[in-house]
Amino acid sequence: MMLKHDLRLALRSFRRNPILTALTVSAIAAGIGAAMISITLYHARAGHPIWWKEHQLFAVTLDARGSDHTGEELMRHPEYPPDQVTYRDAQALYRSDIPKHAVMMYRTARVVDPGKSGVKPFGVTARLTTADFFPMFDTPMRYGAGWGRAADTTPDPIVVLSSRLNDKLFNGANSVGRSITLNDRQFRVIGVADRWMPQPKFYDMTTGAFDVAEDLYMPFGWATELKLSPAGSINCVTPSAKVGGFDSLIDTDCVFMQYWVEIPDTAALRRYQQFVDNYTNNQKQYGRFVRPTNNRLYDVPAWLDRNDVVGDDSRIDVVLAVVFLAVCIVNTVGLMLAKFLGAAPVTGLRRALGASRKHIMHQHLVEVVLLAVIGGAVGVLLARLGLWAIKAMTYVPGPDDGPERRALADALAHMDYSMVVLAIGISILTGILAGLYPAWRIGKAAPASFLKAQ
Amino acid sequence: MIQMHSVSKVFRTDVVETHALKAFTLNIEPHEFVAITGPSGSGKTTFLNVAGLLEEFTSGQYLLDGKDVSRLKDDERSRIRNEKIGFIFQSFNLIPDLNIYDNVEVPLHYRGFTSVERRKRVSAALERVGLAQRMKHIPSQLSGGQQQRAAIARALAGEPRVILADEPTGNLDTTMSGQIMDLLEEINSSGTTILMVTHNPDLAMRAHRHIEIVDGTLAGSRAGNRAAPERGDVAGAAIAAAGPGATAKQA
Repeated sequence: MMLKHDLRLALRSFRRNPILTALTVSAIAAGIGAAMISITLYHARAGHPIWWKEHQLFAVTLDARGSDHTGEELMRHPEYPPDQVTYRDAQALYRSDIPKHAVMMYRTARVVDPGKSGVKPFGVTARLTTADFFPMFDTPMRYGAGWGRAADTTPDPIVVLSSRLNDKLFNGANSVGRSITLNDRQFRVIGVADRWMPQPKFYDMTTGAFDVAEDLYMPFGWATELKLSPAGSINCVTPSAKVGGFDSLIDTDCVFMQYWVEIPDTAALRRYQQFVDNYTNNQKQYGRFVRPTNNRLYDVPAWLDRNDVVGDDSRIDVVLAVVFLAVCIVNTVGLMLAKFLGAAPVTGLRRALGASRKHIMHQHLVEVVLLAVIGGAVGVLLARLGLWAIKAMTYVPGPDDGPERRALADALAHMDYSMVVLAIGISILTGILAGLYPAWRIGKAAPASFLKAQ
Repeated sequence: MIQMHSVSKVFRTDVVETHALKAFTLNIEPHEFVAITGPSGSGKTTFLNVAGLLEEFTSGQYLLDGKDVSRLKDDERSRIRNEKIGFIFQSFNLIPDLNIYDNVEVPLHYRGFTSVERRKRVSAALERVGLAQRMKHIPSQLSGGQQQRAAIARALAGEPRVILADEPTGNLDTTMSGQIMDLLEEINSSGTTILMVTHNPDLAMRAHRHIEIVDGTLAGSRAGNRAAPERGDVAGAAIAAAGPGATAKQA
């Protein structure tokens, strides 16, 4: 009941001092707005794209670098092994049966012929991957399913389309069983992935941590069958390794493949680490892996950290925004103190009429928290405006941008419900922090001292 | 009703120490109407503040309605203020942006009454002071006398045992002062103890007893023109409590 009464008093106080009220709301809104912009951007970058199994999935990295690998002096973390693996190492790792799932893969480019008059062939991105990709990354399927391991080696002329490509080729209809033409070869559609856009795109960040998924997925066996060159980063890590044709690429120490495993238990993980180390130690007899053993398995959060997905800039932005919020809170403390002391005679009167110190503190805290919530709401609007401006400045729509790329740009500057809830929480905390001292100060004085001022 | 024994109040700053009340001893019986006079700065308002638990005293003992209030915590002091004491101030001290109804309702909120109970009490109090038709007016729309009556209604709404009035007629003309005094006498007749600070000797004489405070001490006490309350020889008891030097004049 006192809460309702105190809320009424707070609203009355706002009406009595509209300018001071507006100043306070502005100070809080500016602090919350700035904080929410930086926290939202940080949140988008520090997201958990596959949080339910992020500690069971591991990127496998092997230090195949030669002793005099150049360019390390420019690297931020020269101690890290390369973030991709060579073809032959991937093949060797794939023989282990320790992981529940294992995936070797890379990105390539293909041309689709829609087979319709008037529609020109167009380029697409394709992921050459082994079968476990779909169960391992829990890829949602709209129609059909992925393929079994046998299809990788044969290889079968089958593909899984992204929903984006399925929309383009088949107007979103169930295309399972239908055929598409990729560089003059027919492939049968066995599945269509549902809209899937893990952010960051953790399983392959060589083309950017924030990117849309590939247009289609092909069994890995087509890599050698069609000699498909990677459409991503290639890094030759020994002096003798050179990028030539596809045949030389898969036979040299040039890394271009991503390798992931799913290992649910720690004992198996230790065994797998041992397996990997044994493999590279064994390779030393062939003159490879000349450096001290440095093979690392990263779970998803560690992998994002290793790749600096959330850069120091983002963290510094958050710190600066929190400092700015603190300045706004201090400012609000001053404004509230001025406001409360200005109304001290009425407070003294209320004390004389029976309000206890607790009543007075409660009444004034309710007022500040209410102001902070209003300020927080305005701050959220400011943050949305700021994020919209940031998106407008950083994302220029291209002519070929589909809805997914636009959705990606939106996602990076989007305040979801968790952010709004966080903003409300920060607002209430701001109100309490800003109101505690003024409310305590006004509450502790003897009522007679204020009545004298009346 | 109010029993103070050797109560002192010292205000201290870095450079000066002011003894506002010095070994102040006083006994006020239930239903008494006591007028307090004295020169400016003599300690009248300090006495009223201490009596009303608005200010803590430095030493001594104070029994209010039989309860020792010397070492109470703020919550308890506030509760007693709310339930047992009504205040009337010289400058009315109405909250300017609340209408009269809301002003009278203020202390009832801290009592935890339901809205129905509050409405009943506010209406009754305003009816009693003759302001039932003005309850939606804000203070600035009323005359000084009406504002003081509203303040009296606020003091009455909680049905206090004692009303402390600090120069309640100080800002009013003679006619209005007379009306306010009539109202206070009527309230006292119905059983409420009243302590009233005043500079007006004529009004002081309308009380049962008239005491004088000089330099923070009780300088004198004598009976006023108002007939003493029925319960016991109030004036005599008070004189005894006031100590040597006090005089008495039976009405």
